[in-house]
Amino acid sequence: MRALCWHDRHDVRVETVPEPKLINPRDAIVRVTLSAICGSDLHLYGGFVPGMVKGDILGHEFMGEVVEVGAAVKNLRAGERVVVPFPIACGNCFFCAKGLFSLCENSNPNAWMAEKLWGYSPCGIYGYSHLLGGYAGGQAEYVRVPYADVGPLKVPEELRDEQALFLSDILPTGYMAAENCAIERGDTIAVWGCGPVGLLAIASALLLGAERVIAIDRFAERLRLAALKLGAETIDYSEANVLEALKELTGGRGPDACIDAVGMEAHAYHNIAHAYDRVKQAMMLETDRPTALREAIMACRSGGTVSVAGVYGGWIDKFPAGALMNRSLTIRTGQTHVHRYLRPLLERITKGDIDPSFVITHRMPLDQAPAAYRMFRDKQDECIKVVLMP
Amino acid sequence: MPRSPNLTRADRIGYVVGGIALIVWALRRPSWSRALAASVGSWFLYQAYTGSNPMLKPLGIRVNREPAQPQLAETIVVEEAITISRPRAEVYAYFARPEHLPALADAEVDIARNVADQELAWRGLRGEKLAHFGSLSFRDAPGGRGTIVAAHLEYAPSGGSLGAALARVMGRSPQRLVADALRHARAILETGEAPSTSGQPSGLR
Repeated sequence: MRALCWHDRHDVRVETVPEPKLINPRDAIVRVTLSAICGSDLHLYGGFVPGMVKGDILGHEFMGEVVEVGAAVKNLRAGERVVVPFPIACGNCFFCAKGLFSLCENSNPNAWMAEKLWGYSPCGIYGYSHLLGGYAGGQAEYVRVPYADVGPLKVPEELRDEQALFLSDILPTGYMAAENCAIERGDTIAVWGCGPVGLLAIASALLLGAERVIAIDRFAERLRLAALKLGAETIDYSEANVLEALKELTGGRGPDACIDAVGMEAHAYHNIAHAYDRVKQAMMLETDRPTALREAIMACRSGGTVSVAGVYGGWIDKFPAGALMNRSLTIRTGQTHVHRYLRPLLERITKGDIDPSFVITHRMPLDQAPAAYRMFRDKQDECIKVVLMP
Repeated sequence: MPRSPNLTRADRIGYVVGGIALIVWALRRPSWSRALAASVGSWFLYQAYTGSNPMLKPLGIRVNREPAQPQLAETIVVEEAITISRPRAEVYAYFARPEHLPALADAEVDIARNVADQELAWRGLRGEKLAHFGSLSFRDAPGGRGTIVAAHLEYAPSGGSLGAALARVMGRSPQRLVADALRHARAILETGEAPSTSGQPSGLR
């Protein structure tokens, strides 16, 4: 089959590889009908995540048709159309039982690697480095899905692939980011980053009753989508001083909650701290550039919540612990517990409350994935979200 | 506060020899740079005296100079624990099969003690010689959260504490082996299978 393989920093290739086989009784094999490139795939593409090995198949956002199931999978049959959550979760352990699926204790065969870096290991993730299991991903024609009796969600016939695909990651991720804000009547939510997750966090915050959402980015097409499609107010951080602008827009008090939908490769303008982070990251003295996170903490109103959906990998410097402590801020974060949002969000989609396919800007064949990665990285052609057809 | 020892006898002899060599070298033709060598040398002597190298401390190496099994003059100690969301009897029954014990490879397992639902102890024999010994204890996790399995294992140091430290950094230590065996057991008991990617496709490596 054809699959997108990681080779090195900024080097991914479509190769012919063997088809996946069932390994465990709870596995299924899925023929991928649609997959997507995630912003977090760019962290792998850019070489910011340790534990990548030449030849690794990427992709953790995918859906398709079940072609084969293991002996222990009783709820799925060949031919059924499913969307697959990106966290690999067993459904049996302490964390799965609590609904914290992305913290599954059993799904990462390389847990010891993650423990070295993070203290304890979260769940395994498709195509997301050997630190998180080294599972072959879904930017391919076929993919093996472990614990298929727990993860995959059957997609009703009336939905198009494009409407259901984002249940795998970015819709639940945006939704959890908004849910973590514990939104109350009259709340203003500020969102750093208007990529697909940021846009879906804006849409979710509005679904959850936010009064206003303020979107922060530097790309005109993204801010346009946030404003015109979702009704957010916008700040272009390449021009405005974000902290000043937010203060002004919120009556001098700050947003009630702030969402960091950027993560470890943040950009900034006219900012000494940003130059400092670029240098330290290049010298491997700091793994992540936390510009958005710092700003979100400084901007948040006292007693408010900072919700972190952007991905961080290691360590950051100059973390504003003083602001966090003295102003009673709450930080909520985590890889998304996708499984617990699947059914409620599927219902939202079928009811027409939200159609997450609005973020798609490019539809390309899998064979053009390397070009798609380049375009997405460089934000060429107003690229916001690429979906790939095998 | 006394540090728990992390140097074996062989290590300490090496530290004494190395420390004295540095000091003697410095005294033969004194200079400022050799004074530094002399102080490093005395630091080695001090570590040989305390039996503990603070730089190895983050790696969690622990040496036991008076092991419970007198056939071994001294041992390196491994302790690991895991919580498994299954009833104690079931967890015990799994480990009661000798092949499921977190014993070190290339040693024959001889069950030394066996208290149902509470404890399993074994000796790892290489021929007649004792290579390691270990035990598992089982207790209920608080609040009905399943069973806590605590593993204690001691093995004869071959490469000294430096060898143990290197093995740990390389991820091939007895500590890893015990941790992996416990993790494997939890996966089997909770999910019915062990997570694996062996045999999955990849591009050219």
